[in-house]
Amino acid sequence: MKKLNVVGHDAVRIDLKEKITGTAKYTDDFAFGPNLLHMSVLSSPHAHAEIMGIDTSEAEKLPGVRAVATGKDFPQKIGLYLKDKSILPVDRVRYIGEQVAVVIATSKKIADEGCRRIKVDYKVLPSIHNQMKAMDADAVLIHPNLGDYEVVPWLNPQPGRNISHIRKIRKGDTEKGFEEADFVLEDEYAVPHVVHAALEPHITVALYDYNERFTFWNSTQSPHTQRNMIAEALKIPHQNVRVVAGSVGGGFGGKAGISMEALGVVCRKVPGFPVKLRWSREEEFYNSSQRQGLQAQIKIGVTKEGKITALKHKLYWDVGASAEYGNNVVNATGFSATGPYYIPNVSIDSLAVYTNNPPCAAYRGFGYSEFHFGLESILDSVAKHIKMDPVEFRRKNAIKVGDKVAYGVPMNPSGMHECIDRVAEAIEWGKEVESKDPDKVIAKGFACAWKAPAMPANAGSSVFIKFSEDASINVELSGMEIGQGLHTTMAKFAAEELGLPLEKVRVELPDTDRSPYEWQTVASHETWALGNAVILAAREAKERIFDVVHRAYFLEKEFLYLEDAKVKNELDPTFQLPLKDFVISGIETEHHTWIGGPITGSGSYIPEFTNAMVDPETGQGGHPNVHYTVGAGAVTIELDKKTGVIRVLHMAEAFDAGKAINPDLAKDQIVGGFVQGLGTALYEEVHFDKDGKILNPNFTDYKIPTTLDVPYKMDPILVEVPQPDGPFGARGISEHTMIPVMPAVANAVANAVGLRIRDIPLTAEKIALRLNSKEFKPEY
Amino acid sequence: MKKEISFILNGNEVSLSVSSDEKLLEVLRNTLGITSPKYSCGKGECGACTVLLDGKTVRSCIMLAVEADKSEIVTLEGFQKNGLTNIQKVFLKHNAFQCGFCAPGFILSTDELLRENPEPNEEEIREALAGNLCRCTGYKNIIEAVEEMVKIRKEGAEQ
Amino acid sequence: MINFEYRKPTSLEEAQNLRAEYGFASHFLMGGTDLTVEIDQGLLSPEMLIDLKGIDALKIIREESDEIVIGAGVTFSELIKSSLIQLAFPSLHESSKLVASVGVRNVATLSGNICHAVPSADGAAPLLIRDAELTVSSTAGSHSVSIHDFFQGPRKTVLSENELITEIRIKKNKAKFGEHYLKLGRYRGEDLAQVGVAVSVDEKFQYKIAYAAVSPVPMRIPEAEEVLQGQRPNQPEIEKAIEIIKRRVSPIDDIRASKEYRLYMCGVMFEKVLHAALQRMHDAQSGKKS
Repeated sequence: MKKLNVVGHDAVRIDLKEKITGTAKYTDDFAFGPNLLHMSVLSSPHAHAEIMGIDTSEAEKLPGVRAVATGKDFPQKIGLYLKDKSILPVDRVRYIGEQVAVVIATSKKIADEGCRRIKVDYKVLPSIHNQMKAMDADAVLIHPNLGDYEVVPWLNPQPGRNISHIRKIRKGDTEKGFEEADFVLEDEYAVPHVVHAALEPHITVALYDYNERFTFWNSTQSPHTQRNMIAEALKIPHQNVRVVAGSVGGGFGGKAGISMEALGVVCRKVPGFPVKLRWSREEEFYNSSQRQGLQAQIKIGVTKEGKITALKHKLYWDVGASAEYGNNVVNATGFSATGPYYIPNVSIDSLAVYTNNPPCAAYRGFGYSEFHFGLESILDSVAKHIKMDPVEFRRKNAIKVGDKVAYGVPMNPSGMHECIDRVAEAIEWGKEVESKDPDKVIAKGFACAWKAPAMPANAGSSVFIKFSEDASINVELSGMEIGQGLHTTMAKFAAEELGLPLEKVRVELPDTDRSPYEWQTVASHETWALGNAVILAAREAKERIFDVVHRAYFLEKEFLYLEDAKVKNELDPTFQLPLKDFVISGIETEHHTWIGGPITGSGSYIPEFTNAMVDPETGQGGHPNVHYTVGAGAVTIELDKKTGVIRVLHMAEAFDAGKAINPDLAKDQIVGGFVQGLGTALYEEVHFDKDGKILNPNFTDYKIPTTLDVPYKMDPILVEVPQPDGPFGARGISEHTMIPVMPAVANAVANAVGLRIRDIPLTAEKIALRLNSKEFKPEY
Repeated sequence: MKKEISFILNGNEVSLSVSSDEKLLEVLRNTLGITSPKYSCGKGECGACTVLLDGKTVRSCIMLAVEADKSEIVTLEGFQKNGLTNIQKVFLKHNAFQCGFCAPGFILSTDELLRENPEPNEEEIREALAGNLCRCTGYKNIIEAVEEMVKIRKEGAEQ
Repeated sequence: MINFEYRKPTSLEEAQNLRAEYGFASHFLMGGTDLTVEIDQGLLSPEMLIDLKGIDALKIIREESDEIVIGAGVTFSELIKSSLIQLAFPSLHESSKLVASVGVRNVATLSGNICHAVPSADGAAPLLIRDAELTVSSTAGSHSVSIHDFFQGPRKTVLSENELITEIRIKKNKAKFGEHYLKLGRYRGEDLAQVGVAVSVDEKFQYKIAYAAVSPVPMRIPEAEEVLQGQRPNQPEIEKAIEIIKRRVSPIDDIRASKEYRLYMCGVMFEKVLHAALQRMHDAQSGKKS
């Protein structure tokens, strides 16, 4: 393989200088001048109620109020995969905090006051806050019109029930598999709702102009998808919706698809005036999206030699009051809830269950963190029951290239065993360490993980490249830099392919009017999918360059190559034509005419081999995922038996990136994802009262890790088994790094004191009270 | 209730009329065009709105603008008036931030730490920066960068 | 809509006069770190904010022959940096370091913390074990109030309409002593105390024990002090003291911690704090620095 000059080498992120100087423009930093209006939202105090009437007259009379809107004005249905929510609700609210009406005014204070003056007449309905109860036959229906909603063909809503999707997998014969097992274990695990807690709250600034065009300035992972959803909802031409992206202060899935940005359409009532809506931290908790709650039932059979014979995995997801995007979490995990293991007999039921909790959607890990908690916990238990080392047990069952996954497709090349070995080595698996403090125990815990990008089969990426006079380039794309390093990665692909130094490449944030189409920056698929599009665009530009040189100098294209910003010739080392001499102006002939012209390239990519249309009863027959990324993680914890406090002393995580484009930045994703996972393992949880009101919609009581809470020793490890269809062999790893953390810490607690926690998070309170209760009996 | 106030902002005297309930953050961002301090939690719990007031970090989202009357305020815009500071250069080298939203707060908190305690150990660095939340990085590179700053200073002092 | 007047007096008299004029329609502003948030949440709607930061006399920590005097304008950061506090009042030094974060401690004050009078006030337990006296002042003059009489209920103090605290006074310990403060939070980052415990012991084995966040007001537990008095305690006395403590406190159940866990931790933390205080006293006797 050709020597790589840029790809695979460390670099300073190309977006960092503007961030450390405070000059990066996040959406709230754009200046809109004194005409800027402000929007406030009236939210529902009831978890479930019919709207009998809304009286906005007092708000309209308030000086400074410019417009008021309710579901009467904007009743349109919206949703990524299932259109199960309205821009503003028409006849019913389904969770506390749901936006009921909005007020646009000359100041935020007046808009707030306007909201207080709106009177809503509600008829309160019974509400359901638990997904298991929502499935009862007599449960109140949260979406009585579920059967009328528009839905993509690969989801299976169940009208007449609170179930918006079921994904079933049937592979082999699980009953036979359990019969063949020497040991069978059944257990239940629960994961609560958590929030993204990106530091930058959601924000939209929307302008409707006299050309009947909307412009949105959004903090978003999904500029084109937002454009599409707004245009479709309002039934207006796509060219009349423009989304301009600001820098994004953290996404983690929370800014994927559309949530509060849809309210921007109310600006149509005040043409010519930009209108800003920025969530407060409290609104951020209620009204962006959360991570689904999960109740998992697992049954697993193993032989005494440690081979898994069968797995039955039931996933009951609390998707909240709307499941539009969240349904795909349920779908994706349904296909993958075996974890990264070869299991001959599999039965999976993954159900999206409506409740009157806030809507849930994409969250880093896309459901995989949640099901891995139970799966990787029970794997440790079962290994210990058959007296086998849990790491050895995982090695025995870990999936290999070519093994059939649960939906019957062969596993892609991947280094599962190498990840296990590297992590075991880094964490010194098997080496016992004793605490100096008699109250404390030091122990280790291990977990594996996998995840595939979850996306429609035809999710597309496209890229334009254009040269400037000095042979620098702009790579135009709409993949979002949300902190993960996308701009640096894409710049490197272009630089490598075009023989340019990294400094010659500029990547900017998108504007849907000017930047080529990108489905969304989600699923950790951009390095792979958008990367492929960048390479195709670069190759097209390269082809044009060679074509010009061929025509000007009659050189054979197949011997030309690009290096050091020059065209070189394999057959003639003296031929070195600087790109800057001709990429704009062309090459002058002896007749003083010119050949060529400004060089550009474009590239488009979709995975042409995927197919989401599987048999709804068995999940077989399609190819729903492009590939899996695998990895493993382990922790060493110190647990205080009296206080229940866990300190993670050391973590090691290895993920198979195929090819790390920026090794340092890839390791940073491992560290950042681990710490985000650590918060969810130890204390993160949205607390609700019995009526569905959030008790901790703030950082006072929703804790995310600080500098004092992260391990002092963190070992991120990169494994590189190339992805055959990936750019330079790369595949994504960013979301995955969160996945092993909850079970690894839970397994460490079980290893430390024999306490098996089945309801994450592992708070000090839970551990202390359970460990010191009279009923405590050690278990695996 | 309107109130006339004046302060030195990034080296320049500023006089303006504010309403008594306006927060310093709102005045900086909405009236004065200073956008490096960010709104994030609105309760002084995340550090994204950090500015230096008379040399000390304060939470501008919970400080009334009137309280800043006659003080000296420095934001990142003024902090780097003469080009990138050493703190910023080292953060850059370490790829210390990802989304960057928390970066202005971290930079000013680090400046205060190193003025108050020129040779902090790792634990002191973590304590001093614990009020600045970051959701992306896991803090590893941030802490390592500050450790390197301390090392550079020590070596500089020895020479 | 929020609307209040703001004044920043430069003398105590001026502040007192304003307070006399507006009474409970006014609010004193020190660090404002709790106040502005509560105004935003609509919990408070003062007509007048009296900013005390303009009164230089309140910003001093001074040492008198037998007392340490902490002005009402002294911030937690200033307390942490004070070598006098560190040596003579280590439990206050420790508790101050556990208040929120640097950016809050740079403006928040001990007096503001106790006047706010939430059960979890970080400054309360250390002041209780040192029998702090508060100088309360008004246009009518000033008088002293014991910290033991100060808290009247959650967010309620003994201060009447026209009064404010100007200083907090603590007797210097003449004998060798050891004291320690421990706070229960959900993690090491900033948190509101779910349990706060301060214990002091002197050479005569006179103990003082105070708790915060486990009763409507921060409190001393004299009955538990009694059990230990005059001796280096053995496990049975410690257990007895814990039993008394658990009977005397009345923690609430909330999302921060259950009643059960708070009660349980009252005991676990007591042992840890007691042993640390004894160790420090021992170190002081043997001339070691703690």
